[in-house]
Amino acid sequence: MQHAIQRNIFALRDYLSPVLKESKFKEHGRITPEEFVAAGDFLAYKFPVWTWEKGDASKARDYLPSDKQYLVTRGVPCLRRATSLAYTDADEDAERLLSFGDSSAPGDGDEWVETHAGRKPNHDTAASAGEIGDIPDIDADADGAANALGNMSLSGSKAAPPAGETPDLDDIPDMEEELEGGDDEATAAPSGPTGGVIDASEVEVAKGNLLQVRTYDVMITYDKYYQTPRIWLLGYDENGSPLTPPQVFQDISADHAFKTVTIEAFPHSKSLQAASVHPCKHASVMKKVIERMNAGVVEEQRRLSGGSATPTKEGKKWPFRKSSGNKEEKTPNDDDVEGMRVDFYLVVFLKFIASIVPTIEVDSTTAF
Amino acid sequence: MTVVQFTPFSSLVQPAFWHELTRLKIDVLKLSEESLPITASYSVGRSITDRETGQEVALGCNLTISDDSFNDTKTLQRLPANSVRVNGTFKNFNTIEEFKEADKSALFNQTADEIWNGIKATGDISLLNRFLLITFADLKKYRYYYWFAFPAFVAKPAWSIDDAGWKSAEEHIGRDALSGIHTQLQSSPSAYFLARPRSSEDKTDSHNYEIAPISSLDSFFANTPAEQQIIGFVDPSPLPQNPGWPLRNLLTFLRIRKSTLNPIRVLCWRDVDIPASGKPWKSRFGIVQASVSEAEGDVRPAAVGWEKNPQGKMAPRMADLAPMMDPSRLADQAV
Repeated sequence: MQHAIQRNIFALRDYLSPVLKESKFKEHGRITPEEFVAAGDFLAYKFPVWTWEKGDASKARDYLPSDKQYLVTRGVPCLRRATSLAYTDADEDAERLLSFGDSSAPGDGDEWVETHAGRKPNHDTAASAGEIGDIPDIDADADGAANALGNMSLSGSKAAPPAGETPDLDDIPDMEEELEGGDDEATAAPSGPTGGVIDASEVEVAKGNLLQVRTYDVMITYDKYYQTPRIWLLGYDENGSPLTPPQVFQDISADHAFKTVTIEAFPHSKSLQAASVHPCKHASVMKKVIERMNAGVVEEQRRLSGGSATPTKEGKKWPFRKSSGNKEEKTPNDDDVEGMRVDFYLVVFLKFIASIVPTIEVDSTTAF
Repeated sequence: MTVVQFTPFSSLVQPAFWHELTRLKIDVLKLSEESLPITASYSVGRSITDRETGQEVALGCNLTISDDSFNDTKTLQRLPANSVRVNGTFKNFNTIEEFKEADKSALFNQTADEIWNGIKATGDISLLNRFLLITFADLKKYRYYYWFAFPAFVAKPAWSIDDAGWKSAEEHIGRDALSGIHTQLQSSPSAYFLARPRSSEDKTDSHNYEIAPISSLDSFFANTPAEQQIIGFVDPSPLPQNPGWPLRNLLTFLRIRKSTLNPIRVLCWRDVDIPASGKPWKSRFGIVQASVSEAEGDVRPAAVGWEKNPQGKMAPRMADLAPMMDPSRLADQAV
């Protein structure tokens, strides 16, 4: 009930809040719908796994083009539970600096800290399953928390099923049928012979809950009230069944799972519910990230345009130096350095989201 | 010689589909149990590299249905590159008892007959991938029982592959040929295709391949030596030694309509993008054959293809959407 009221208030607030007109992305980390579209176009162009969707026509936002209501990428793999990545003191030494963006221009001050660099792969090989005991059993805690969440049900109904089990097995009608005479020799067994590649289902059997290939559909919408993009997650387990909220929370880093990530109505569908990262802090985080990156970019651009005889290498820093077709060509002097372009906003945004959902490979941008 | 084993489809139902089914059931179908046309799609098989172990992990051989699966084909959104649309039959039952007692063999055979007629009578390649979906929607509990069937004909004797097994297509026909095929598939996507080296005067161009639809089988291969005739298909299987389910009916099709084509050189197309330099192509290549049997092709062969449930049994699956749809459960998640 309270939730319903709250949702209506949010909807009203969303309706009343004005559409952001001026570009604010460097000052506040917020973007206009136009900039969202531009950044989305760039993302979809550069990384074709992302596509624009229309969504439900009756839910279309008029400040966005009708065929570009939100961005989606489907079947994003998620190999491990985020809870298994929990950060321990031992991991602290394993941090290393990563150069951001293209590796062709290292050392321009854009390093990122990669935290789990030293993690040994031996946790997860099938052969060394015996070493699992060495890993603190964080999953158990998280499951407990997740179940506690499930237990808060108003109706006092049963706890959410533990992860990895098919819910309510008893309710599936027992109707195994002899539809096909005997085994078909030409059908590959579910964990059939594999040469070099592990089949997802086999992985799950061999390694318990350490490696279950879940997949996620990830959507990016534009949140009019917070004037930032907003991320939505729809998860599937390795059998293609939808994940329950407690299961989804296992893939969200512990710092965020019960605070900033909630299950809410997806704005471009009449009834769909999805997990969403609440955007209230997006703008300030994005502002920090952009400021930091922008400083590096401006410096880079100054260096490139600072009267040196060498021509600027267009394309080397493609995200930032992409020539802006609609604007007049800027003369290369110190006051007019463009800095980071808003096109790049969503790429940065995905890197930020990747820190909230560390095991969901939303950030396909590193693969290139 | 080993028997070719095909990776069966596994269904992936987007939650939006169940929402759409709920709406359809309440507003349109009501108590009707008639069969409806439905569309699904599959894409090339994917595997990802586990960043921690460096191993390749294969993702599913998925057939996906979504909320626009009920829509007319013309209004459907454009599919991403290298995805294939599949038509099927959907039937929803009003009660769990009817769902249990439905004559599933009859429904299955009906779909298999459609595929068979496509092969025998019309030669319509688009009918090769038909599927069947039966459901029962427990709307009060937000639970959806469903069972997919992907009928495929059993070949007797079975198709076998030579001792080399499935090899990397890159080794066999080369990177140039693959990028040539890739370019043409982008401009004219199709589930199945023929490929042959482009006939040209100068030898420098000999690595370039061209593709054509299956319907032009006779003319396209008329002047091509048998060892250069390649049958390709968009392969949803990620497993290196198992081609995907769609190949099964294609082989039946070729055996019936073009029995002289034996052995068959198969290209399992698995590349969405041209791989970065240094990275291998994922497509596979293999030479399959079957000893030609006597008077064949008059009687419909047996078909298999009911999807097993997660426990590996011949039984329906269930999607429990209560945690994501039940208002009282949702209220609990709210912060």
